[in-house]
Amino acid sequence: MKFSSIKTMPKNVVRDTLKSIERNNLMSAASVLSVIAALIILGIFLILTINVQEVTKDVESKLELKIFLQSDFTDTQKATIEQALEKSDLIEEVTFESAEEALEKFTVSLEDYAPLLSGYNSENNPMPASFVVRVTDPDDMDEVQTLAMSFEGQGVEYVRYGQEYVEALVSFNKFTNTLSIVVLVVLSMISIFIIYNTIKLTVFARRREIGIMKYVGATNAYIRAPFILEGTLLGLMGAIVAFLIIRITYYYILGLVGGNLFLPVDASLASPDAVMGQLIFFFLIYGGFIGAVGSVFAIRKFLDV
Amino acid sequence: MIEFKNVTKGYDKNKSDALKNVSLFIDKGEFVFLVGRSGAGKSTFIKLLLREIEATEGSVYINNFNVSKLSKKEIPFLRRKMGIVFQDFRLLENKSVYENVAYAMEIIGKSEKQIQKRVPLALDMVGLSHRMNHYPHELSGGEQQRVVIARAIINNPSILICDEPTGNLDPETSYEIISILEEINRRGTTVVVVTHDREIVDTMKKRVLTLEDGVLKVDDATGRYGYEV
Repeated sequence: MKFSSIKTMPKNVVRDTLKSIERNNLMSAASVLSVIAALIILGIFLILTINVQEVTKDVESKLELKIFLQSDFTDTQKATIEQALEKSDLIEEVTFESAEEALEKFTVSLEDYAPLLSGYNSENNPMPASFVVRVTDPDDMDEVQTLAMSFEGQGVEYVRYGQEYVEALVSFNKFTNTLSIVVLVVLSMISIFIIYNTIKLTVFARRREIGIMKYVGATNAYIRAPFILEGTLLGLMGAIVAFLIIRITYYYILGLVGGNLFLPVDASLASPDAVMGQLIFFFLIYGGFIGAVGSVFAIRKFLDV
Repeated sequence: MIEFKNVTKGYDKNKSDALKNVSLFIDKGEFVFLVGRSGAGKSTFIKLLLREIEATEGSVYINNFNVSKLSKKEIPFLRRKMGIVFQDFRLLENKSVYENVAYAMEIIGKSEKQIQKRVPLALDMVGLSHRMNHYPHELSGGEQQRVVIARAIINNPSILICDEPTGNLDPETSYEIISILEEINRRGTTVVVVTHDREIVDTMKKRVLTLEDGVLKVDDATGRYGYEV
C-alpha cells in the first residue's frame, strides 16, 4: 500500500511543489540566495583546501634528503654509507654528488650572480660532497635521517631536508582543513535555518490541506514529500548558481595569475578541471542535503495531528 | 463497529474530565445520533475515534482494533477506514469538485483509472454530477457539504463520522443532507452524526446517544432527544 502511494505521487507532488515555490517567490529567492552565499564561501575554502593538499603532496614527493659528508671522508666510509642506504626499503634512489658537482650546480643556480663564486675552484671548494636521497614515502624522512645520522663522525657531517618547510606546510594543511570544517558547520546551520523558515511559510500556507490530508488518511511520508522536494529544489538551485559563479571566477583568476603561485617551491596547483569536478559533486549533494534537512525540521510539528 | 470501554479523557488536571467513564457500543451498519450541549464531550468523542488524541483511561475499539494501541505509523490506515464530514466543509478552494473528491483517492495511492471510474459514481450518489468542474466558492453550502460527503465515502469507509454536518445549513438543505447520509447507511456503512439539530433527530427516529458534562446520560434506541434545550 505504501509503495503504490509513492508510485502515483510524482505528478501531483511536482505540480504542487512548483506552484508553492512560485507562490512564495520572495522567500524562495531569499533561500536560494542564502545557499548561494554559503556555498560560494564554502567553495573558496574547498578550493583552498584542495590546492593546499595538492601542493603539500607535490612538495613532499619532490622532497630530497641530503646527507653531507665530512670534508675528509674516506672511500671506505663512502662505500659503507652508500651500501647501507641502498639496502634500505625506505629509499627509492641514492645519488652521490661530489664536491665539484655541488659547486658547479650552485654556480649554475646563482645565474647572474655566478661571478661571486669565481674565486673558488677545486682547490678551495667550500661545498661538501653529499648523498642525495629520495624516499619512497615522505613520512619516512625521519627514519632515513636517523639511519644516515648513525654514520655521524664516520663520514657523515650532517643531514638536511626541508624539515621546517614540510612541517609548516603540513600544519598549514591541517589548519585549512579545520577551518573548512568550521566554516562548513556554521554556514550549514545558517542555510538550514533559512530554508527551514521558507518551508515553514509553505507549510503554514498549506496547513489546511495538510489537515485534510491527515483526516483522509495520508501517510506522513506522503504529506512530507512535496515539502522536502521543495526544500531540496531550493538547495539544488543555490548549488548550481554558486557553482557557476565560482567556476567563472576561478578560471578568471587563474588566467590573471597565469600559474604563478608566488610559492618559494616548485609545486603546481591541482588541475582546475579536477577541482571543479569535485566542487560540483560536493555542491549538489550539500545543497540538496541542507534543503531536505531544513524542510524536515519545518514540517515536523505540523505532522502531529 | 465502534466500542468505548470505560473511556475517560482529561485534558487538564485542574479541570473536570471531558469524558467520564463512557462505555458504548455501535454495531456495524447502525445509524446513530450523538447529541449534547457545547462542551458535553462530543468533539472529544470524535477526536478519540480519529486517534487525534488518546484516552486517559479505558480503550476505544474500531472494527475490533484497539485504537489506543496503534502506533503513529498505523494511524493513517485507521483513518482510511473512516470517512469524515465536517461542519465547515474543509474543501480545497483551488481544486474543482472533481479534484477535491479525487484528491482523497490520490492520497492513498489509487490509480488514475480507478479514480476516473469512482469519482463520478460518488458525485452521482450525492447528486452533484452536473457540478463536477465547478469550484467550491461557486457552490451553495448544501452543495459543498455534498462534495464533502462524496469525498468521505470515496474510499469505501466502513464508518462515516459527521461532525455537525447540517450546522451551517438551512432546514430544507439539512434534510437533503441527512437523507443522503441515510442512503449511505442503507448501503451498509455505519453512520455517526454529531448534531444539536433537535428537529432532525426527532424526525429520524434513530438511536440517540446523549452526552452531558462528559457522561453518557441517555442511550435511546427510538430517537428521543435526550435533554431539554
